[in-house]
Amino acid sequence: MTLKRILSRIGALIINAFVMLLSLSSIFPIVWLIYSSLKTEREFALNIAALPAHPTFENYINAIKTAKMHIYFFNSLFTTVVSVILIVLFSFVVGYFFARYRFTGRNLLYTMFLAGMLIPIHALLVPMFVEFKVLGLLDKRITLILPYVGLGLPMAIFLMENFIKDIPHEIEEAAYIDGATLTTTLFRIILPICKPIISTVVILSSLSSWNEFSFALVLIKSDALKTLPVGLTNFTSQYTVKYTQLMAAITIAILPVIVVYLIFNKKVIQGLVAGAVKG
Amino acid sequence: MERGLFKPKSRVFIGYLVLPVLWYVFVVVMPLILAFNYSLYDWSGGPRMRFVGLSNYAELIKDTDFWLSFKNNIIITLLCIVGQIGIAFILAALMTTRVLKFKEFHRTVIFLPVVLSAVVIGFIWTLMYNQQIGILNWILRAIGLESLIKPWLDDPKIVIYSVSVPLIWQYIGFYLVILMASLQSIPKEIFEAAEIDGADGFKRTIYIILPLLADTLKVSVMLCIAGNMKVFDHIYVMTGGGPGKSSMVMAQYAYNNSFIMFKLGYGSTISVGILVLSLAIILLSRKLMGGKRQ
Repeated sequence: MTLKRILSRIGALIINAFVMLLSLSSIFPIVWLIYSSLKTEREFALNIAALPAHPTFENYINAIKTAKMHIYFFNSLFTTVVSVILIVLFSFVVGYFFARYRFTGRNLLYTMFLAGMLIPIHALLVPMFVEFKVLGLLDKRITLILPYVGLGLPMAIFLMENFIKDIPHEIEEAAYIDGATLTTTLFRIILPICKPIISTVVILSSLSSWNEFSFALVLIKSDALKTLPVGLTNFTSQYTVKYTQLMAAITIAILPVIVVYLIFNKKVIQGLVAGAVKG
Repeated sequence: MERGLFKPKSRVFIGYLVLPVLWYVFVVVMPLILAFNYSLYDWSGGPRMRFVGLSNYAELIKDTDFWLSFKNNIIITLLCIVGQIGIAFILAALMTTRVLKFKEFHRTVIFLPVVLSAVVIGFIWTLMYNQQIGILNWILRAIGLESLIKPWLDDPKIVIYSVSVPLIWQYIGFYLVILMASLQSIPKEIFEAAEIDGADGFKRTIYIILPLLADTLKVSVMLCIAGNMKVFDHIYVMTGGGPGKSSMVMAQYAYNNSFIMFKLGYGSTISVGILVLSLAIILLSRKLMGGKRQ
């Protein structure tokens, strides 16, 4: 009995140690990156693993001064915010009409939108580049918003439609009897009910816009309009690589995401999983 | 469906739907049609566009570099299925035991890399793999395994495995959460009954958890395949497909052809090839697993 207990104690210890090791290895690279960004290049070269003895923000100042990280940051923020607002608005309206009405062309539109989830985005990259080039849409402030909204729609519409389907019809009937127009019903009554699914759509689309790389790489050429992920690749090609400065630049790119995740982690996890599994 | 529901006039429908539909057609449907169109031309982006019919496709079928990159996609996908879903499965099984402590902490921390951008993950791992300043070699040296130190991203023989590690690493948490969600919908009594019947550890995992998770595992495999057919950002940052073509994947190959060599016609052909191959593999694997969605 006691031997068995000792053995199961040891087993439990091994299991816990194993999972703890795995957990630590999932964040260690990020932690290493962040604390190394607070070292000087010389201190980092001396011992790459040690904690910074005299933490300094010099790298951050340089990342902003020489690599213009603040411009990329603003571009990412602008693109993400505008894209997310439009995705929420469009997907809510389209999702509502899909959920509530059968109209001519509904099934065609429905299939068209949902098929979008199956298309590998790289199949669109070349033709979109050409299309944009012909129409003079490359390298503009709205350039990236166009694909981000379009590509974000299928999943968002699907989630919205699923959610609105389950809202009882009586709500709209009552509103109609009270004399509400469709627009009032839509935005004053249905929209607030959809809050939970809207927050899921916001999470999904802001993460994918903030993190998007391929379209930003191909459609944007001028430094003033680049987003963070592309700005980072700039960093390694344009300047002699100062590792700690690169680390500071990466930290600038990931810190907002990490902070939001740490605050809303349950919601973020739910949102991402709902998006993936339902899609 | 709309029984008893106020039905608006068709101009109201059009008014609401026209903008989102046009937007979507403009950035998704049109490019898709254009991709097929451009794939029939020999075209380097200039005004000279020569119609060549299906000869780009004939070239694609004979293009060993394309098939090499396809093979790399397959290798990465297989490694990810085993690595991501395998590790996530073990973790999820452990999460059902009472032995494991700090479950909430583990879940939160292991999921964190999922929310970061692929480019950033690529950069972080390039730094980790670095010869002089890489923490990986530092750790190997610290634990006395100096003999294992390698030029991780510069050795054509191992580079495909080196680039797979960050991919696996990033998404374990994602599959862990999916598997846990499906485990949570299983009544606790099943696990308790199994425990009373003496099924513990390994047996419990194989005979109880595995069959209960079968459907979710199938969905996970599909997600994994779909995700890895379009892998690009990580590779672009870490190796750009190199050294040589040893870590080339389909998306990188299409990018190189279109935007570095400016073969826009052939690049479109490759894009269509990616589309067809990805859909074929997804459908094939769905058929093989007899899996129903969700």
